[in-house]
Amino acid sequence: MLEKTQLKNISTHDFEKCLKCTICTVYCPVAAVEPRYRGPKEDGPDTERYRLKDPKYFDEMLKLCLNCKRCEVACPEGVKVGDIIQAARIKYSTHRPGLRDRMLANTDFVGGLATAFAPIVNFSLGLSITKKILDSAFKIDEHRQFPSYSHEKFESWYKKHELEQAKYSHHVSYFHGCYANYNYPQLGKDFVKVMNAVGYGVNLLEKEKCCGVALIANGLYNQAKQQGEKNVHSMRNSIKENEAVLTTSSTCTFTIRDEYKALLDIHNDDVREKISIATRFLYKLIEADKIKLAFRKDFKKKIAYHTACHMERMGWAIYSIELLKMIPGLDLTVLESRCCGIAGTYGFKKENYQNSQKIGAPLFKQIKEVNPEIVATDCETCKWQIEMSTGYKVENPISLIAQALDVEETKKLNHIEKQKL
Amino acid sequence: MKYDTIIIGGGLSGLACGISLARKGQKVMIAAAGQSSLHFSSGSFDLLGYDKQGNIVNNPIEAAQQLDSEHPYSKIGTALLKTRAGQAQELLNTAGIKVNGQVEKNHFRLSPIGIAKPTWLTVDNMVTLESPDQFPYKEVIIANICGFLDFPVEFLVDNLSRKGVKVTLKTFTTPELEHARENPSEMRATNIAKVLEEENNIKKVADEINQISQTQDIVILPSVLGIANPTAIMLLKQSIHAQITFAATMPPSVPGVFIQTRLRQYFQSQGGMFLKQNKVVKGDFTNHELKCIYTENLQDEPLQADNFVLATGSFFSGGINTNYNHIFESLFNLDIDGPDDRTQWTKENIFETQPYMSYGVRTDTNFNVQKNGGKINNLYAVGSILNGHNPIKSADSEGVSLLTGLQVAENILKK
Repeated sequence: MLEKTQLKNISTHDFEKCLKCTICTVYCPVAAVEPRYRGPKEDGPDTERYRLKDPKYFDEMLKLCLNCKRCEVACPEGVKVGDIIQAARIKYSTHRPGLRDRMLANTDFVGGLATAFAPIVNFSLGLSITKKILDSAFKIDEHRQFPSYSHEKFESWYKKHELEQAKYSHHVSYFHGCYANYNYPQLGKDFVKVMNAVGYGVNLLEKEKCCGVALIANGLYNQAKQQGEKNVHSMRNSIKENEAVLTTSSTCTFTIRDEYKALLDIHNDDVREKISIATRFLYKLIEADKIKLAFRKDFKKKIAYHTACHMERMGWAIYSIELLKMIPGLDLTVLESRCCGIAGTYGFKKENYQNSQKIGAPLFKQIKEVNPEIVATDCETCKWQIEMSTGYKVENPISLIAQALDVEETKKLNHIEKQKL
Repeated sequence: MKYDTIIIGGGLSGLACGISLARKGQKVMIAAAGQSSLHFSSGSFDLLGYDKQGNIVNNPIEAAQQLDSEHPYSKIGTALLKTRAGQAQELLNTAGIKVNGQVEKNHFRLSPIGIAKPTWLTVDNMVTLESPDQFPYKEVIIANICGFLDFPVEFLVDNLSRKGVKVTLKTFTTPELEHARENPSEMRATNIAKVLEEENNIKKVADEINQISQTQDIVILPSVLGIANPTAIMLLKQSIHAQITFAATMPPSVPGVFIQTRLRQYFQSQGGMFLKQNKVVKGDFTNHELKCIYTENLQDEPLQADNFVLATGSFFSGGINTNYNHIFESLFNLDIDGPDDRTQWTKENIFETQPYMSYGVRTDTNFNVQKNGGKINNLYAVGSILNGHNPIKSADSEGVSLLTGLQVAENILKK
């Protein structure tokens, strides 16, 4: 017997706080289009009670969950519905990922190979015959456009500019992620440009592994945990010398800050607060009057901002939006926050392609109605999905800041000249 | 981050308050933790449905004069009630939520099981009654979607028949609705509404309803259309020969989600910042003033404002909570009206007036709250968290939320 009455609810992922109110079901993008998925309430806290008694109540259809966490954003009681579902997959699933899932999940291994042979890889991935083979042999949907691979990795570009970084008086580490490294180094370059302009040198981590989000989604939990431990170790060392570990991807940020602990049992409490998305870091420096940004007078763009699911879950969209609002020439529309449907590797799989497009349809429709010059979002897979499905160009807010930035004026405002540069 | 006013809670009262302030040019933030109880809306807004004796109220403005001094309406003042009610109706209509009703004469809404309840405003296109026994039609067809369980038609038929209405029950389906039916438990009103956002799917539903009805018929449908905008309902109306009207379903409520979404969008269109997924976790108080608040996800970001409004709801939304020892206001531990002795909270007979229903935060007539007996000069409470009213027994829930939201906006602007 307890000596005192327990006054606080302490169930795992707060699952006992569920009132069965059904609000989460309104916001589940999957349940609306896929009846084989039983929805966040039933597959989450409802069945969890049964699973705790007998694992036979586990249903492999839980793999249809996108892990978008919109159920958690909607829940008035703070139940971590998405975590309950993902944790159940980790605990009970007996499904062993096949070659296709392993390929999709190992973004850094595949990315490393692909960048080495980028021209051939990009050429072949664009061919319809390749798409047909991937479709029939690997069940990667033939309609999917592959993000192209860069011939030069961001890391290789960075090496050429590493020495310059030491000259700045402040420093941050950059967790570039697989996307900036293999597919779109320009994002990394934009980040370095902006940080340098405000007096921050950029370092890389001693070792960066893929954050592991695709490994978790594809059932490769042990590998995800190993990579996560390595990242946290590198970050722990990094924050001894750097003010923060910054990212330009909402999903990498969310995975490292929240999923590591909630799903992979990686202890990150000591580094978590130092890991931030770049827009938030910049906004806070500006707010504290520590840095200033100056923008080009001739930069005029109509932008629509899409709130990526994990940005929504972190509650940080306000930082990217407020930062973009500082660009005087920006005509900004904030789109209704909805899932774009791709959810990382989910939308690449043949069995999910149709649902992925159905889920994104209302967002695509709204983008076409707004008809912006560029869509801004903090997530790279949203970028692929929106570019493929709407034809509109998508940029990370950091790239837009970099494009709009008056570098010389910004350096002057932040007294960079006076330093030893 | 600095605002003129920060409202904690993104439901009906918070949004009403936020919209009025933003419309007057204030820089307003609403910090929300999860969705609101509007997801359980009947599609109607109650002002005052029953008096103390439990009798149906005909004229809410007149009946409000008999309320106790602790009731939020008494604090607004009976002289102002009608003005605030008019403003609330205007606010809803401007937000794109077309409602029908009169402030000095209640009409009746139909509950999902067919019970008539007194109410003030009802969303356009939903079935309403002039008096509890006078159903507007002598003969109706109730048409339900095959397999849709959240529309308890047998009860509805039974209760309408008792009012002397000749009811025929019919069902229909389409391939898209059959697809949704493959998951019976997720075949909820809101998921059906998402299927019925597409023009083609609406047309197919219209074809099916035209098969089972004639031009002169009145067809009652479950309220499963128009989750994002009213065009789905308009399109269906145009494509069906018979006259159609809608009845409330079990939650989640499609009209409720529509109301919530429209108000939030209207607030944002007036320049308001709606911060989702940010549960407020603490506040800094000095000299009887709340200086700033912090949220779970913006922990190191002081959110400052001249004025703050607490719109966190009652027990259901977590604004007020209990443990085995006492009742408390969840966020700042503000002063509450409600006894510590838990045996006094409830009555054994569930149909009796339950004392806990009227517990809430203590405020003065300006809706300023108190902490440890001292007034907090720039912190107000609005909506269900207020003490002194029982939303079930008096049917005053939405009225209290809307009117106190507007009143506090006025009090802040007057300062």
